[in-house]
Amino acid sequence: MVSLMETRTAKELAEVASESDVDRKAGARYPGSVRAQGRFWQARWFIVVRAFSVFIGIWYLVALWVASPIQMPSPFKVLEALIALGRTGELFDHALISATRLVISLVISTLIAVPLGFLMAMNREANAFIDPIVELLRPISGIAWIPLGLFIFGVGGTLPIFIMAYVAFFPLLLNTIDGVKSIDRKLMSAAETMGVSRSARLLHIAVPAALPSVMVGFRIAFASAWAAIIAAELIGSPSGLGFAIEWYRQLLMSPKVFAFIAMIGAIGYLCDLGLRTLQHKLTPWAEGMGIGQ
Amino acid sequence: MNVATMPSKAQPKLRLRNVSKEYVAPRTGQRTLAVSDFTLDVRAGEFLCIVGPSGCGKSTVLNMIAGLDQPTGGDIEMDGHHVRGPGAERGVMFQDYALFPWKSVRDNVGFGLRHGTPGAGLTAAERNDRVNHFVNMVGLAGAEAKFPHQLSGGMKQRVALARLLANGPDVLLMDEPLGALDAQTRMVLQVELLRIWGEAAEEGDRKTVVFITHGIDEAVFLADRVVVMSSHPGRVSAVIDIDIPRPRRESIRSEPRFGQLTDEIWSLIRDEAYQAIA
Repeated sequence: MVSLMETRTAKELAEVASESDVDRKAGARYPGSVRAQGRFWQARWFIVVRAFSVFIGIWYLVALWVASPIQMPSPFKVLEALIALGRTGELFDHALISATRLVISLVISTLIAVPLGFLMAMNREANAFIDPIVELLRPISGIAWIPLGLFIFGVGGTLPIFIMAYVAFFPLLLNTIDGVKSIDRKLMSAAETMGVSRSARLLHIAVPAALPSVMVGFRIAFASAWAAIIAAELIGSPSGLGFAIEWYRQLLMSPKVFAFIAMIGAIGYLCDLGLRTLQHKLTPWAEGMGIGQ
Repeated sequence: MNVATMPSKAQPKLRLRNVSKEYVAPRTGQRTLAVSDFTLDVRAGEFLCIVGPSGCGKSTVLNMIAGLDQPTGGDIEMDGHHVRGPGAERGVMFQDYALFPWKSVRDNVGFGLRHGTPGAGLTAAERNDRVNHFVNMVGLAGAEAKFPHQLSGGMKQRVALARLLANGPDVLLMDEPLGALDAQTRMVLQVELLRIWGEAAEEGDRKTVVFITHGIDEAVFLADRVVVMSSHPGRVSAVIDIDIPRPRRESIRSEPRFGQLTDEIWSLIRDEAYQAIA
């Protein structure tokens, strides 16, 4: 009896140990994946499929209960619409337009926010000058600028780009400042005692040291911009996913509205996955140090 | 014949004259005297250890020699020249390694050669050779491609040492470099440090080392001379010659002379050490 208990405990201990070991390696993101081999209900794909099945099941039941294809189309109607829109290519055309705007706006935002963040973190006067303006603008939602943007840019591609760049700007800036400010002073001192010039210290220490934090800012910036694009395109654009949603809403074609909404979700999810992978590749040391996750 | 150009024995490598350091708290304006009237000559090629109770200003003295911190009084000279700021001729090894986390072992060791003054005039191949030489010397061959977060404490310390040596400084300033290691690793690295210190020099021309430690036995094992500091404010309270012959091996730790010297230093620090924790 005692020995039986002992062996069981030892085995459990070993299991826990191996699990926590692998968890650490996997960034503790998928705790179930350890025993994936041979047990499919603990495999990663199965967990994802299960979550989606439950979600779609509930959706279906709600659609049955609402019983109005305009207010709440069933998941199968939406799937049909998705396939139809995919066949004609309309889905991808709009997605491509929106994604292009997203990329342009993120590039603009990064080019402004990251250098500005470095400047503000390293120069007290610059910070004193710019910080109040930033703090004043920050609480103002990007959507608040749409009416004014319509006057300035008119209906077209520029307005959504402006709104997205605006929305992406703040998380990028604040995370850059944070990253630069939290650089380990010792590393700078170490470089000074190696006769490394100020510009080389900036390039080879400050930039990589701030990178994990900038990457976090970039992920938040992406998410905010992608959320804002729809509002901007709903009103201020003759193309893009947001426009398509509004277009089919006016035609009362709810399944197609839902199809475009699903596309927004899918692109957002895939991009974040890609960014996380990029983060892992670019700043592998940050995970070892417990930052940037 | 060339007497004038030869480095005279009287000329110390480092000369600290009445050095003091006072900190002023930015808000309250309260003044704290961290180091006061610190006078010390460090001879060329000697291994000097500084010991003292916690918070006695050991690190402040080292940072001032490094040029990372400016004295508020007195003067620091190296080879007769006033120390104004940090420079590659005075290399520093920090207590918590201060390795660049985004650089591999190889790139950490070669950082100063690549981006700093020590690499000026060297070709890429020469730099590479130098990096390899020191990586091998500290026993890190095979780990060149690893990153700091993949290394143990002892290995990080080796990387820091190789990085320090690769820059070819004249004076090695070491701030409790073995402080964060476990006792066994520490003893192994002490022996290795002495080997490398003697070996890295050309024909007996050893580098000058200023080594800060809170381990009295470590100081006695490593040093030619031990400076004992007292605190509030930090001052030199005694300088003790360690007359144990070199090369020193593990066995000297059990010799009576080793125990005598350790006791002597401990008796100088003991009262303040008790006060510090009281």
